[in-house]
Amino acid sequence: MEQLIKQTLSKLALPEVTFADVRITRTDNEGIYFQNGFLRGYGSSMDALAIGIRVLINGCWGFAGSHDLSAASLERLVKTAVENARQGGNFTKTKVEFPALPATQATYHHQPEADPFALPKEEKTAYLQKLAQALKPAGKIVHSMVSAQFMRQEKYYANSEGTFSHTSYYNTLPVMEVIAAEGSQIQSRTWPGHMSAGRGGFELFKKQKFDENTDRILKEATDLLSAPTIAEERADIIIGSGHLALQLHESVGHATEADRIFGMEISYAGKTFIKPAMIGTFQYGSPLVNIFSDSTDPAGLGFHPVDDEGVPGKKVDIIKDGILVNQQTSRQIAHLLGLKPSSNMKASYADDFPLVRMTNFCLAPGSGTLDELIKDTGKGYLFDFTKTWSIDDNRNNFQFTTEIGYKIEDGKITGIVKEPTYFGITKDFWNACDRVCGPEEWGYHSTFHCGKGEPGQIMQLSHGVSPARFKNINVSVKI
Amino acid sequence: MDNLLYLKSVLDAHPELQYEISERAWSTDFLRFYHSQTNYNISKDNLSLSAVVYKGKKSFNFNLDNATPEKIDAAVRDALAVIDKLPEDPDFVDLENDLTLAAPRPLKNNIKAIPLALKTRILANVSAAAMMYDFDIFGTFVCNYQKYRLINSNGLDKSSATSPIYLEVKAVHNKSQITVLETFGGEDFDYFDDQDFTERLVQKIKYCANPVIDAEPGHYDVILAPRCLAEYTSYLTYGMSARALDQHSSFFEGKVGQKVFPEHITIVDDPSDPEMIRADYGSDGHIYRFLPLIEQGVFRNFLCNNYFSHKTGQPKNGNTASCLKIAPGAKTLDELFAGVKKGLYISSLHYMNFINPRETSLTGLTRDGTFLIEDGKITKVVNSLRFTERIDRILNNVAELENRCYTIPYSGNYESFDVETVKAPHALVRDFNVTSSTHTI
Repeated sequence: MEQLIKQTLSKLALPEVTFADVRITRTDNEGIYFQNGFLRGYGSSMDALAIGIRVLINGCWGFAGSHDLSAASLERLVKTAVENARQGGNFTKTKVEFPALPATQATYHHQPEADPFALPKEEKTAYLQKLAQALKPAGKIVHSMVSAQFMRQEKYYANSEGTFSHTSYYNTLPVMEVIAAEGSQIQSRTWPGHMSAGRGGFELFKKQKFDENTDRILKEATDLLSAPTIAEERADIIIGSGHLALQLHESVGHATEADRIFGMEISYAGKTFIKPAMIGTFQYGSPLVNIFSDSTDPAGLGFHPVDDEGVPGKKVDIIKDGILVNQQTSRQIAHLLGLKPSSNMKASYADDFPLVRMTNFCLAPGSGTLDELIKDTGKGYLFDFTKTWSIDDNRNNFQFTTEIGYKIEDGKITGIVKEPTYFGITKDFWNACDRVCGPEEWGYHSTFHCGKGEPGQIMQLSHGVSPARFKNINVSVKI
Repeated sequence: MDNLLYLKSVLDAHPELQYEISERAWSTDFLRFYHSQTNYNISKDNLSLSAVVYKGKKSFNFNLDNATPEKIDAAVRDALAVIDKLPEDPDFVDLENDLTLAAPRPLKNNIKAIPLALKTRILANVSAAAMMYDFDIFGTFVCNYQKYRLINSNGLDKSSATSPIYLEVKAVHNKSQITVLETFGGEDFDYFDDQDFTERLVQKIKYCANPVIDAEPGHYDVILAPRCLAEYTSYLTYGMSARALDQHSSFFEGKVGQKVFPEHITIVDDPSDPEMIRADYGSDGHIYRFLPLIEQGVFRNFLCNNYFSHKTGQPKNGNTASCLKIAPGAKTLDELFAGVKKGLYISSLHYMNFINPRETSLTGLTRDGTFLIEDGKITKVVNSLRFTERIDRILNNVAELENRCYTIPYSGNYESFDVETVKAPHALVRDFNVTSSTHTI
């Protein structure tokens, strides 16, 4: 593959090509899905190859991608990418400026504790079947599912500046869910929640304590059917890590993708309320809020030694002591903003065009445990396990509903509420943060399904968070 | 022999097996533009082979990109090695057995019919018109071409092809950032009228000369643009699927034959409209036919494939709500506006998600042009708004529908950028629940 990618790149050494890069990915996927105790699907897609060729000609990008790596296909793709860039140049007003970077060489190969592709299929299904049987519909439980997705991807990257990298990793997405119904009511509970993916293999089922939590989700789903809704208009809320990861993702992560500042995502994903002049001065959150983008930590799905346009992995502060100090950028956009590129250009597969993407996007830990934070809360709620999420296309007005809310009175959990819903404006919300739990509660919560771009791509990425408390939040929306 | 037929021959050598196999060749030419210029031009293609192999009630499936006989042999070997060791699905009965073939229809490959040079010429014209009002254009101009063949062990062998066109132009004011949207979608570019498209966009741009205000939360009379009515209806069809019925998460459970909406609400799934992107077959190969979903307010049919027909007892139809049409009403758009003393015009929706699908409750936002209506006229631009509503309540509050329909394209979010179209009119809806303002355009 190294030879193939370098040969392809050599064909792009044309006088008019000011920059070119080529990526090749080889991806294995396996998925197992149990429904109501029975196996509904077991499938695999192995050895899926893809190639993408990106060229910059006369200040305009052209791209061609395919799953076909034959010699004839590569010839065609080189020509198509070049022609796409040339033709695009007929409808431009400003040329892309793309400052050069030194060449980087990088290799990284990850091995999980329990390689899911090496484990016998019957062993994996037997384990999942046991979980599925424990969640089989009975009484008010009317539906259940247990699923696992395993992914292994090997990637080669080379560009016309001499950068070359070869990496591989394993990611796994395990999840289980039950639905309870009574009359017109339904309620659901999942474990371990919305962002349950992680870097690793089959060991994630053990690490995320699936066996220990089947009874919990059965009981909570059933209890939610008769639980009250929140009565108050406003409340202090603690947000558990799994859901806080999504709050961070939607209201800070996407908001600080700087391609949105320049309208590159208006047609689908949207814009951002952030303007260039806000960088360095804007009070995004309270002084306790420290947020960073870190593609150097191999424990998260966003790790890479080099991004998909040749920028070495970096840890970059985005919000420091509550102040917006930087953005997630590409080389092109960093130049427009007068910043250094943050190593955030990523594509899902080689035949996808790279976009500004979150990598490991994290809220830095504060201090103390979740138990201590609950004890410190006289009256309020602990919200966790995402149910519904929505945010406007400026990433300013959000509304979330979680599967369950735990009522806190005098520092103790005293009951549950169903469909707890809160909404707010991004800046006001993060400025209402008065506690962030410490390193002992901090961990990665990851997803396989962050959608962005056209043609659409889904990205695998991580958020490092610990639970945090937000004061006087609007919980008045009643369904 | 091609790969699909080779796979068939390999599986046919095992009479104990049932199978459903398919081959899909997909390609796209994708122009993305911003600030009235090219952002990037993408060409992509892939060829994939998929198989679901059954032995009794046990199954295993695999997918191969750019298959070869060697890869196929290895994949079948792996499937046979594991299938006996897997648990059964007791609900599996049989594969699709509807062998009806769709009538052949002419289809152009729009990637070839609409080359990049033509796309950029059209966009340059639209851009010039928008620029007169200090608006830049942003969006996508996409043509896909897909050939698909599905074979199963019941003798089903069906081929289909689609070539959707998707043009989305957002005009954004260079200072205020006020945005309006115009789209074209379908498979026949003869329906595209360059001048009419531009005029409709410019008409919306002219609304943006009005001052910008915030609207307070509350209940409003609203005129929903066809895109919005179409999107609510698309979300509603989640509950019309037999899968949702099986999961007890359907609003329509126990409601077949019952009146659920006012008499002027009729919704059908119609694969034969030439202005739309059509469908020949459902996902498991059943012929795709006209299917009434809501008839004069009465719920008629679940969308039901072979598997869920066996499981739920609902009649099989193979429909997937891919060709939705909402019947028009009797009023002109001007008459709808005249019926609003003070209210909102909502052009487009954003980031909707169900809160409780069984209740059809959801939240989402307005986007790309929200306007205040006073005494039947657009008088202000309104910052985007959040609503928290139930779709069944919205449809029950539809007071009037416009007397004409528009074809609205929607793109799939992921990978192959599937495009579907919905036909819908404007709707006047009473008592629409706005729950907060975004304070931003």
